[in-house]
Amino acid sequence: MAFDTPENGSITDFAAAQSVSVDEAAARAEAEATRSGISYLDDPGRPAPPPGATEADYRFHSYKVYPSGARNVVEFDNTYKSFGRNQILRGLTMGLPEGMVSMILGPSGTGKSVCIKHMVGLLYPDSGDVRVQGESVPNMRDDDLFEMRKKFGLLFQDGALFSSMNLYDNVAFPLRQHTEKSEEEIESIVMRRLTEVGLGQSREKLPNELSGGMRKRAGFARALVLEPDILLFDEPDSGLDPVRTALLGELILEIHREMMEEAKAAKKPYLPTFAVVTHDIMSARRVADYINVLWRGRIVEAGPAQEMLNSENPFIRQFLAGDSQGPLTMD
Amino acid sequence: MGDLFAAPRGWLESFGEIVKFSSRVLADVANLKVFKYFGETLRQAGILIISSTLVIWGLVFIIGLQCGIEGAYFDQSTGTPAYAGVFAAWCDLRELVPLCFGYMMAAKVGTGIVAEIGSMRISEEIDALEVMGISGITFLCATRLVASMLVLPFVYLCSIGAGFFASYLAVVQQIGDVSSGGYFLIFWEFQNPPDVLFSLIKAMAMAVVIVLVGCYYGYNASGGPVGVGTATAKSMVFNIVSVHLISMLGTQLFWGTNPRAPIGG
Repeated sequence: MAFDTPENGSITDFAAAQSVSVDEAAARAEAEATRSGISYLDDPGRPAPPPGATEADYRFHSYKVYPSGARNVVEFDNTYKSFGRNQILRGLTMGLPEGMVSMILGPSGTGKSVCIKHMVGLLYPDSGDVRVQGESVPNMRDDDLFEMRKKFGLLFQDGALFSSMNLYDNVAFPLRQHTEKSEEEIESIVMRRLTEVGLGQSREKLPNELSGGMRKRAGFARALVLEPDILLFDEPDSGLDPVRTALLGELILEIHREMMEEAKAAKKPYLPTFAVVTHDIMSARRVADYINVLWRGRIVEAGPAQEMLNSENPFIRQFLAGDSQGPLTMD
Repeated sequence: MGDLFAAPRGWLESFGEIVKFSSRVLADVANLKVFKYFGETLRQAGILIISSTLVIWGLVFIIGLQCGIEGAYFDQSTGTPAYAGVFAAWCDLRELVPLCFGYMMAAKVGTGIVAEIGSMRISEEIDALEVMGISGITFLCATRLVASMLVLPFVYLCSIGAGFFASYLAVVQQIGDVSSGGYFLIFWEFQNPPDVLFSLIKAMAMAVVIVLVGCYYGYNASGGPVGVGTATAKSMVFNIVSVHLISMLGTQLFWGTNPRAPIGG
């Protein structure tokens, strides 16, 4: 049975047309790879595909890592993670260089948020290792894990504010739990951070009285108060309009700069490292010092932003250009 | 044949998980980690007092009236109205006050804990807590357990008082087949201070199980709001069954061999 639609004639016709376009896109991707003459399958030292996958599935993975010039503070070493039959990380090897704003980019459902949860020990790998400042997260005892987590600030997708507390108490919470600071000192830090993210006037509001963007900014302020060594952002731009996304990107850069200066002045053992998980290419272009592109549970290529933006890899070129033509299709 | 044992195996697995989870919460109490968050413990104690006390006392008062009425009419029909206090004493202290306390704890406190912690789980608030270096089990579960232990003995002792008062009202003031002095003579003959302690132990055992089960189902909730609803329903079923089991075992243990009935010398 076919239903008439003004634009496409009938739904069955439309579905058929869509199906053809997906197949055509895949065929075009193959043709492009052939035309460009780029093939990574013969590269020496290339890792074998993960169990259950073929070389062809990973033909656009060059596994190339351009040098960043900095040591990695977070390292994934051949990490595998599955949820039931759904394999998410499939031999992921990746690093986040110290003192940089790194982006973890990739198509939806490719394991970016799962990466973040592995870094802070909310998830453990099925095999492989995740190291933070040289220490293996899966091998930590509970007490060491909680201690290690104090090095992190994490901005969740929806802010993850405590719904029973107002904005001020949410941001003050880590300081009250982990420091011996007086209420006056806590108030000064909290108000400084709330003002930085533009929420100085909303301190008494409860999370359910805030918009999505405000909740994200409040989560950002809360993640900052303990001045962590590593700050992680899980899709900070999701649900935000382009202007707010740009402003949030600028805020991330500004705070990173500020924290870098403070860390250098205080001669801290580790410089502040930010990692942003996103699929927003504009944010990546504006904010990133270093880019990891993740697909099918592995890094396709990684390196400083400039090298990545000039990459010859057809997948990287397609993804960073946001192009519908290329190896990545709807399937 | 395999399917026949699938459900019991699932229940056993869940039970094992609950025991494992509970032992982690109890360990946090035993090694005093929970007292790092004493402020949160006091906050939870306050919430418990404000939100649950009156409703528990109200239910126990009604059941006390029922025990009194039932006992008074039964003894009236057997021609021994002066002995209405026997029924009131045993029914209130040994059986129905602990049971009603358990029901209301399961319905009000247990489900409240599942809903609250479950919502925190699905909105990533527990993950946020953990990432801040704070153990969710200690901060959310152990504090609630200690708060219950601080508050509930007093709430329960007052519940017994509410039940006794209600039975007195029903037997002496409403039905009036026995004088106040006659009623109390028999009423106090059939119970003694250890009975109050045993009754308290029964009720506190129920409270501990209900809080731990609530924490378990809330902490492990998944699948969005529907998942929290399912977890709440499961916790209610588990808790109601547990309340009855504890009640039965308590009666057998404390009064099975010696009912402490001053009959026949």
